[in-house]
Amino acid sequence: MMQTPDRLLQLDVQEGGAYAVVQIQGSVSMSQADELRARLEELAGRKTPVMVLDLAEMDFICSAGLGAIISAYLKSRHHNGQVRLVRPQPAVRRLLETTRLTKLFPLHSSVEQAVNA
Amino acid sequence: MERTVLDEVARRGYTESCTFAIRLALEEALNNAINHGNRRDPASKVSIAYDVNDRFVALTVGDEGAGFNPSSVPDPTVDENLEKPCGRGIMLMRAYMDEVRFSDKGTQVHMIKHNR
Repeated sequence: MMQTPDRLLQLDVQEGGAYAVVQIQGSVSMSQADELRARLEELAGRKTPVMVLDLAEMDFICSAGLGAIISAYLKSRHHNGQVRLVRPQPAVRRLLETTRLTKLFPLHSSVEQAVNA
Repeated sequence: MERTVLDEVARRGYTESCTFAIRLALEEALNNAINHGNRRDPASKVSIAYDVNDRFVALTVGDEGAGFNPSSVPDPTVDENLEKPCGRGIMLMRAYMDEVRFSDKGTQVHMIKHNR
């Protein structure tokens, strides 16, 4: 099945005390990267200890979107927080491997595994 | 324009991985042209030329900036650059497209992806 360009970005945040799970659905292209950055930095600014980004429904991300995740990671580090990535689709997984960002963000197979890692 | 290119790519039945690559490369080229080339100056224009056929997709993206030397851009995949939020665009274009060429001044990038 062909991917659908411009699928709208949707962010669903569930907070559970020591962690927040952010489900990212749709595409993160240049025009959506600022929105993603703002939401993730807001969570990081609240000193959320662990941010779990569920990528199972995210079909596209560009380098500006990757930059948004890295910015949240850098902000989280100020309070020893962590950002963990879960279930990227194959194309996104390849992108994370190509950029070697899997070294910063080990990939997890489920939200539960990421929360308890 | 980006949507027009991607619609044509989809219409011609390019594989999912080819479509992802073309979308990513076009996004990165536009991002570079707008933010780095034209420095977000709304008076400066970005040009896109494309040829989408059954064999390949050719894209040319240009800006009106001062230009740059692509070989001077640091490798974003080395350990000391991994935490930088920017600087991955050119590497991704090269990784995902079959051919990537910059004009002498660096104000135009030409890319080709074969359909396979």
